[in-house]
Amino acid sequence: MARYSLVFSSQATVATADTTALTANKYVALGGNSTTMQLKVNEVQCGGEATAASAVQIYRFGRSSTVAATSLTGTDLYNANLDATSTAPGTVALFSSNSTTKPQRSSTLGSLIAHSFNAYGGLVRWQARQGEEITIVGNTASLGECTYSGFTGTVASTVSGHIIYELV
Amino acid sequence: MSSKRSHEGYFVMDHRGSPGVPDEIVQKDGLVSGAGHGLFESATFTCNHCEAVVVKNPDRSRERAWCKKCDHYICDGCGMTMHKTGLCYPFKAMVADILNLQDRRPAESVVEQSALLTPKLNEALSNIILP
Repeated sequence: MARYSLVFSSQATVATADTTALTANKYVALGGNSTTMQLKVNEVQCGGEATAASAVQIYRFGRSSTVAATSLTGTDLYNANLDATSTAPGTVALFSSNSTTKPQRSSTLGSLIAHSFNAYGGLVRWQARQGEEITIVGNTASLGECTYSGFTGTVASTVSGHIIYELV
Repeated sequence: MSSKRSHEGYFVMDHRGSPGVPDEIVQKDGLVSGAGHGLFESATFTCNHCEAVVVKNPDRSRERAWCKKCDHYICDGCGMTMHKTGLCYPFKAMVADILNLQDRRPAESVVEQSALLTPKLNEALSNIILP
């Protein structure tokens, strides 16, 4: 159906272990907005914006064992339809960087993509071949939401990037 | 006719203008030593059983796990599971099953059975809660 780019811009980073509530405005959560919604993630890119010192980022894209709930907001998040001519679906995906109940990265399914890079001049990107995307289905744990956030060992810094996905 | 390589994705880590990442960190991610410095590019595949993204190591000499039933690369963890159990349950099949369950599930998530069944069996069936 429609392809979207979820952009996070100049987001602060922090180290957070698995099965621990992520920190407000220091993660990106992308999930389904209904029990039958299906998303296919086919690109995750992140680049560092540190200006002075080396800052290693240990980022993980993976499934949530607790999904974001209640009062979802997305500071510096931008969800853009990639095809200007397509009609947006009636219900779009849920995305957020803050909520009353914060998402938690699963300890078993939370590392579908491992992105380690240096925020001082480094960038990292993964692109899936068509048909090899990561699927998000429904709106409940553990398949209904994925987060992109700093894992244990991440040095506080600033990053920007995007997640490209298709709403099926 | 598709080949094994036709499933490959692309992974790039660019530290040409950066101090880079120490080897002990990139090795934990399953990458080769030195990948955290300069430009590192590699093919990836998505495990067909769990959808984890595996960055391929071109120097690997061990055999990669391959599922003959779904005709796809799978990650080492799922490879071990399949070796032990022989079961193939692709992630896409699981998604289809979940969506089918959603379509069939009654509003109250309780299975209703015919009154023609014996009362004991009917009671047991009515207690089944679908996931």
